[in-house]
Amino acid sequence: MSDGQRSPTTGSGQIVVSGLTKQYKSVRAVDNLSFTVEPGRVTGFLGPNGAGKTTTLRMLLNLVTPTGGSATIGGQRYADLTDPLRHVGAVLEASSAHKGRTGVNHLRVICAAAGLPKQRADEVLALVGLSPAAKRKFKGYSLGMKQRLGIAAAMLGDPQLLVLDEPANGLDPEGIRWMRGFLKGLAHEGRTVLVSSHLLSEMQLLADDVVIIAAGKLIRQGPVEQVLGSMAQGGRVRVRTPQPEELVAALREQSATVETDEQGVLLVSGADAPAIGRAALAAKVELHELTPERPDLERVFLELTAGKAGIR
Amino acid sequence: MNLVRSELLKIRTTSTWWIFGLITLPLWGLTLLFNWLQTDALASGNLGDVPADQADQIQAVQSADSLAANLYTNGQFFGLLIVMLLGIIVVTSEFFHQTVTTTFLTVPHRTTVMMAKLVAAAVVAMLFWLVTTALNLVFGVLILNSVDVGTQFGSGTIWQAIGLNALAYLLWSVLGVGIGVLIRSQIGATVTGILLYLGGSIGAVAVLAVLASRYGDWINQLQVAVPSLASSLMVTGAEIPGSPPRWAGAAVLIAYAVVAGVIGVLTMRRRDIS
Repeated sequence: MSDGQRSPTTGSGQIVVSGLTKQYKSVRAVDNLSFTVEPGRVTGFLGPNGAGKTTTLRMLLNLVTPTGGSATIGGQRYADLTDPLRHVGAVLEASSAHKGRTGVNHLRVICAAAGLPKQRADEVLALVGLSPAAKRKFKGYSLGMKQRLGIAAAMLGDPQLLVLDEPANGLDPEGIRWMRGFLKGLAHEGRTVLVSSHLLSEMQLLADDVVIIAAGKLIRQGPVEQVLGSMAQGGRVRVRTPQPEELVAALREQSATVETDEQGVLLVSGADAPAIGRAALAAKVELHELTPERPDLERVFLELTAGKAGIR
Repeated sequence: MNLVRSELLKIRTTSTWWIFGLITLPLWGLTLLFNWLQTDALASGNLGDVPADQADQIQAVQSADSLAANLYTNGQFFGLLIVMLLGIIVVTSEFFHQTVTTTFLTVPHRTTVMMAKLVAAAVVAMLFWLVTTALNLVFGVLILNSVDVGTQFGSGTIWQAIGLNALAYLLWSVLGVGIGVLIRSQIGATVTGILLYLGGSIGAVAVLAVLASRYGDWINQLQVAVPSLASSLMVTGAEIPGSPPRWAGAAVLIAYAVVAGVIGVLTMRRRDIS
C-alpha cells in the first residue's frame, strides 16, 4: 500500500476551508477562516495554543458543527463521504482507545464498523512498527505507542488524506524523527497531509506549506520558504573582520547601517552579502565571516502572531 | 449490520460483560432462594392470619400459575438493573475513553451509530435473559416439584410471563442507552440509573402510599407511571385485584424506552464532540 506513486487526481485530496466560523457562548473560536491544503505536500497548521486549530480540524471532520462557512474534502463535506475512512485518516487524541482493550482489538472494532477486512488491523500495526505490542492492553502503552496506534487507525482505510492534531505531543526525539519520515513519505506518495502543531522548529523540518492562524483568524498561508522569505527583507548580515573601521566606512558610503555587537561582530543591514563582499574587496579588507541571518519560522511566527495569542 | 457487529465487538473485547455476568449470578441465586422460601410458604398456605381485605390478592398470587410464573422470571429484579447499566456503559464508556471521536469519524451518520448501539445493547440484554431463563426453567421445576405444584408448562400464563420478561430486559437496556446519552459522565449516569431503578421502586411506593392515605386510593393507580413498578406489574404472573392491568405496565415501559431512545438519538445528532 505504501509503495508506488499515487496519481494525485485533481481536487480529490484537496481541502478547502471557506469562511469557517465557530461561535461558542462568548468566544469566537474560529473567525471567518479560509485556506486550502494541496495534495502531495505536508501542510503545517500553526498557531499558538487556543488559536482554534483543534476546533477547525473538528469542524472539517464533522465532529463539531460550524456556526458558519464550510470545510470540504475533495469538494465534499466529511458527512457526505461514502466510506470516509477510505478517504480521510485522522489522528486527534493520543488517548482515544478503551484502556482495557488490546491494540489489535481496538483496530478490529474500527475495521468492523468501516467494513474493512480485519487483516488490515495487523497490516497497519506492522506499518507503524507496533506488531510486538498488538495483544497488549492499551493502558500498558507508552505515549509514543499510543500515537503510533492512532496513526495505525488512521491508515486502516489507506486514505488519500491524513489529518493529524499535534501528533508530536509527548513523543521522544526518536519518535518525532520517525513521525517526520513517515509523514513525508505519505506526502511523497501524493497524499494530502495536514498537521497541526505549535512546535515550530519541528514544522520547519517537516512542512512544505504552512497555514498560520491566531485568535481564530488566518495570519498567513503559503510555502514555508515564501512565508520565511516575506520576512527576510530587512534581514541582517553578520560580518567578522580584523579591520572593522575600514569596512564600516566603506559600507556607510553605500548607505548601509552597521551595528557592532559585544563580540565585535558587525551586523549590517541595508546591504546584502554580495554587496558587502564587493565593498570589502574594493577596500582591500580581509573578511573572516559573511553570514546572512535567515529568520527562522519561530521568529516569523512570533512576529506574525504578536499580540494575538493568549487567553481569550 | 457492520456497525452492530462493531458494537458487539466493542462489548466483547472488554471485561465489562463478564464482570456484569459475575455480578448477576450471585444476585440471581439470592432471589432464587427468596422465591423458593416464598413459594414454599404460599403453596403450603402457611401464612398465619391474613387481613380480610388482602385475602383476594393473596389468593391470586397463591394460584399455581402465579407461583410458577414468579419462579420462571426469577432474577428479574437485579437482571433488569444489570442490563440497564450495560446499556448506560455502551454509551458512556465512549466518552470516558474518548473513543466516541473515532466512532463518529468511522461513521459520520450518528443516527445509524446510535441505532447500532441500541440493537447491540438489546442483543446483550437478550443473552442475559436467555441464560437467566434457562437457569430458571431448571431450578424452577425443581422447586415446584418439591412443593407439589407441578411445572405448569401447559399453562399459557407462564409462557406469557417469560415473554413479557424478555420484553422487560429489552426495554430496560434501551432505557439505559438513553440515560447514557443524556448523562455523559460514567459515574453520574450509573448512579442516576441505579437511583431511578431502586429509588423508583422503593421511594415511589412510599410517596404514593402517603399521598394515597391523604387523597384516596386512586393515587395508588399512579404506581404504573414509575418505570420500575410498571415493569414489575407487566411481568406479574396473574392479574392482581386492585392493581392496574398488566398491559398498562407494558405500555408505560415501552413509552419510557421509546422516549429515552428518541431523545438519546436526537441529542447525539446535534452534540459537538470535542
